[in-house]
Amino acid sequence: MKIGVLIKQVPGEESPLRVAPDQGWIDETSVNFETNESDSYALEEGLQIREKNGDGEVVVISMGPEGRTQKVIREALAKGADRSIHITEEGPPETDPLRTAGVFAKALQEEQFDLILSGLQSLDLGTGQTGVILGELLGMSSATLVMETEVGENSIRVKRELESGWFQWVTLPLPACLSIQSGINQPRYPSLKGIMGAKKKEIKPLPKAEIIESNVNQSITRVYSMQKAKQTEMITGDIDQQINRLVEAMRTEIKVL
Amino acid sequence: MSEREVLELDVLFVGAGPASLAGAIHLQSLLKESGQEASIAILEKAGEIGAHSLSGAIVDPRTLKELFPDFDQQNIPFESEVTEEHLYYLTRAKKFSFPFVPPPMSHHGCYITSLGKLTRWLGEKCENEGIDIFCGFPGTELLYEGDQVIGVRTGDRGIDKNGEQKSQYEAGAEIHAKVVILGEGTRGSLTKKLIQRHDLMNGKNPQVWAVGVKELWKMPTGSVQPGYVAHTMGFPLGHTIFGGAFLYGMQDDIWDLGLVVGLDYSNPAVDPHHELQLLKTHPWMKSVLDGGELISYGAKSLPEGGWFSIPKLTVNGAMLIGDSAGFMNGQRLKGIHLAMKSGMLAAETIVGALSENNFSDETLSDFEKKINSSWLRDELWKVRNFHQAFDHGLFGGLINAGMGLVTGGRGWGLKNRMSSESGHLRMEKGKIENRYNELSFDGKYLFDKVTDVYHSATAHEEDQIPHLHVRDSDVCITKCPEEFGNPCENFCPADVYEMVGEGETRKLQINFSNCVHCKTCDIIDPYQIIDWVPPEGGDGPAWVNL
Amino acid sequence: MDILVALENNSGSIHRMSLEALAAGQKLASEMNLSLSMLAMGKNGGDLAENAGKFNAEEVLLLENPLLDNYSSDGYSQAITSVLEQEKPRFVFMGHTYMVRDFLPRVSARLQIPFVSDVIQFRIDDGAPVFTKQVFNAKLGADIVSQSKGATLVSFQSAAYQSDQAEAGAAAIRSISIEMDSSAVKTQSEEPFKEEAGGVDLTNAEIIVSIGRGIGKEENIPIVNALVDALGAELGSSRPIVDSGWLEPSRQIGSSGQNVAPKLYLALGISGAIQHVVGMKGSKNIVAINKDSEAPIFEIADYGIVGDILEIIPKLSEAVQAAKN
Repeated sequence: MKIGVLIKQVPGEESPLRVAPDQGWIDETSVNFETNESDSYALEEGLQIREKNGDGEVVVISMGPEGRTQKVIREALAKGADRSIHITEEGPPETDPLRTAGVFAKALQEEQFDLILSGLQSLDLGTGQTGVILGELLGMSSATLVMETEVGENSIRVKRELESGWFQWVTLPLPACLSIQSGINQPRYPSLKGIMGAKKKEIKPLPKAEIIESNVNQSITRVYSMQKAKQTEMITGDIDQQINRLVEAMRTEIKVL
Repeated sequence: MSEREVLELDVLFVGAGPASLAGAIHLQSLLKESGQEASIAILEKAGEIGAHSLSGAIVDPRTLKELFPDFDQQNIPFESEVTEEHLYYLTRAKKFSFPFVPPPMSHHGCYITSLGKLTRWLGEKCENEGIDIFCGFPGTELLYEGDQVIGVRTGDRGIDKNGEQKSQYEAGAEIHAKVVILGEGTRGSLTKKLIQRHDLMNGKNPQVWAVGVKELWKMPTGSVQPGYVAHTMGFPLGHTIFGGAFLYGMQDDIWDLGLVVGLDYSNPAVDPHHELQLLKTHPWMKSVLDGGELISYGAKSLPEGGWFSIPKLTVNGAMLIGDSAGFMNGQRLKGIHLAMKSGMLAAETIVGALSENNFSDETLSDFEKKINSSWLRDELWKVRNFHQAFDHGLFGGLINAGMGLVTGGRGWGLKNRMSSESGHLRMEKGKIENRYNELSFDGKYLFDKVTDVYHSATAHEEDQIPHLHVRDSDVCITKCPEEFGNPCENFCPADVYEMVGEGETRKLQINFSNCVHCKTCDIIDPYQIIDWVPPEGGDGPAWVNL
Repeated sequence: MDILVALENNSGSIHRMSLEALAAGQKLASEMNLSLSMLAMGKNGGDLAENAGKFNAEEVLLLENPLLDNYSSDGYSQAITSVLEQEKPRFVFMGHTYMVRDFLPRVSARLQIPFVSDVIQFRIDDGAPVFTKQVFNAKLGADIVSQSKGATLVSFQSAAYQSDQAEAGAAAIRSISIEMDSSAVKTQSEEPFKEEAGGVDLTNAEIIVSIGRGIGKEENIPIVNALVDALGAELGSSRPIVDSGWLEPSRQIGSSGQNVAPKLYLALGISGAIQHVVGMKGSKNIVAINKDSEAPIFEIADYGIVGDILEIIPKLSEAVQAAKN
């Protein structure tokens, strides 16, 4: 079984972020990048499926500049992925998921994956679309918010998370493209031997510039800090007056009562 | 997943800092020259190289030129060669310039460097040379066969805060090596154990440390001159607390501001983080940082004891290099070139040991001979009494340093070797004097600890046993409040230690998640009941270019 | 047609988030003088269309097809694609629900049109809408413009617009049909079921009551529970409460906890340290109660009360309960 896993490098959860002077993106100086959290779960799911199946290949694909992309790819190889593709990107990152998915589709067409797994959404843009669009472009069946997988003969049965604590099992024909929800499994730690072995595994570079189409369908014009010009109403008076005012605000202004 | 992984290697370095990296690169190149082969690996507790590296720093290129004879073609990621240097004496409101910079403190010909960038660059070199670097693997135990060190065990992963195994539990790996080189940096945890077990400080001065607390400031375009160097004395530390500040101009409009505070002060209320904020209240600092924004914060201790505080460096099967051994020139405020040189000399020793297949202390002690006949010793010998003289205050220290220039390093003009005392012993009971009454944090220019720690991007797996072992926390409620006023709340630059609760419920709370791995607590806790051990692999700060 | 609001079917009634999308659509329609229609489909589509007909719009398209009775990603993406090809709207507005996330990107792929998702507001700039969404886990905001050559798909974050702002009116119902055969739906779905949730997910809560150090001791927490129940809220906290073991870790809000943006965030006895604030400053309304008038939390609060939470909370619970009855 041939499994592709898409992984993205994103700023670490703990990293304080600042907007770049031109407000086009964040200032990446001093920002520590790591593997997007839900992608780690997707990778682990891919590795477990390969293990349960007895054989198969897990290929990781990531798009980004040198350095930080190599870092997340190596980590995935150290955990057990078999080989990888690095879509090398220079300059500002893609922010149009349709375009991004288009690049991946071109890069992966020939691989003919049985399964493509990606994390539900990335910590940076968080559109949650790239995986789904990719599946459609490659003519694969698709499901999102996957919490559990069961591989069948030519199909895969997945448990999808619905709103408000509901779930639903859906069976899809292969090839399938799934977006994986965090918490589906316990991502493993890379072992020493895994890290040593990662050095020998393939990282195939593929420049984005060579495969990208030119149309941008949506773009970010400005990134900024969302400090509202807050007018704080300090509620004064004795305690009963304060509570009355607060309840009134909750009823008429905030509208939660 | 729960079986211990076992790996057999020839040479294992612990800590991917400049000492180990230079050592490994040099070792590999020596082996190639002599047609030998050996498996070399480096363990690093951080999730990636450089994440736990912090220094000022100004690097003397001497060692790098030895390691890379084609230095000029190498593209080492320095910020800038030093272009301008100043030495200032600060009072509360004024700044006095020293008319000239005394030669030993001159940084001419040296390079302002981010240690994080340098170690990442060295790390790449290592990997290109076939050296494995295992990030996210802290060394937690030395493995012995009799009294011979035969390897290192790495930390278990996936243990919860009650000590129970979580579902992704993985036992630490056992790495067997013919020789283990500890390059753990300042106050290494395995180093501490090695020194204790083999009594390696016998006949030496106790080691003394300082802590460096720093902030990186992003400034408006064009307002920072890369290569600018300023060092200061006086305000805010005054004459009785050892230390001073540094201000270096980096690339990308970044000011690198830091304060070094000796961890041998007598007033238990001293708070290194607060001292840095006080420094920023100086009018000169305000004008320098005007219009800028804090982007990064960190802290790290550094060994100040000098030549006489260096332990015996070898035992059967193991060696000490870099800051773990104490190779730091306090007067020049430079240790990186010394750390790398010590790594290189260790490599030369190891080549010999490998060809004889003998890793006994006798063979390895060749390392000390090499150090003694190298420029490393010459340099440290000249400043061998530098820190000790500051026990007499700032002027005493300066006078001594001045005289040392003439006498080749004798203390107080005549003494060959001045003794020193462990820093934590100098904290005085009952001598608690608040220095921060006028300090208030606005969250934009002056920051409280919690806000600064947020800028160190430090993170730890929450569900684990705190990695700061306090052997007797009753002391925190019984003796310490009166004797020292719970100084842990002050000396930790990361707000890890907090006394919470009232009366019956009062206790020490350890916010280990904030820890930036500076080791200050292990060093200066007056009761010496704190043991810093590595947390789960990968945890800690996520510094990029400190 | 200019704006098409595709309604999510809640057994014949309009899903709250679709009403919010409708409110947004009506706002765009009035600001740019555009026409607005709605789309009703799925089981009980007729009821849905009737309900939709009570709102101000040009018309309600009713698409009835047995293949759409139950949701499937294949079915819905096929259906919406066909409707867009037929009706050619400029904008398609929907609520950012799990369902929309599941199938709408496929429409984007099929028609090569952009899907601007999880929008929290829009404004008109230079004759065109500029959409705002939160990025980097709500730490920052981003303005997005569409360069579509066809339609622009837009989904709105929960409570970005208010469902009670959807203007009432009357809209005629028009039945439409599309070509779709059974082979279009390749998946088989089973019955949905409920499970024991493990660990609280605060990110979906509309109201969060959050406690900090000011609560004093563990014994005081039950006082807060009464307020939580009265409001139908979820309980959250800043880090020290979890560190002390008084609440489980999944209740922690902040940079190393959950990141939330509810309609109402009540910060009780929370100072407003940055590690906490980054986890909740996207909240639509923030009420802070703290003894310390200098507490940084007041800088980001919409409403503030300087006072003792132990005194205020019990009275507030009563008042809230009374207001609800």
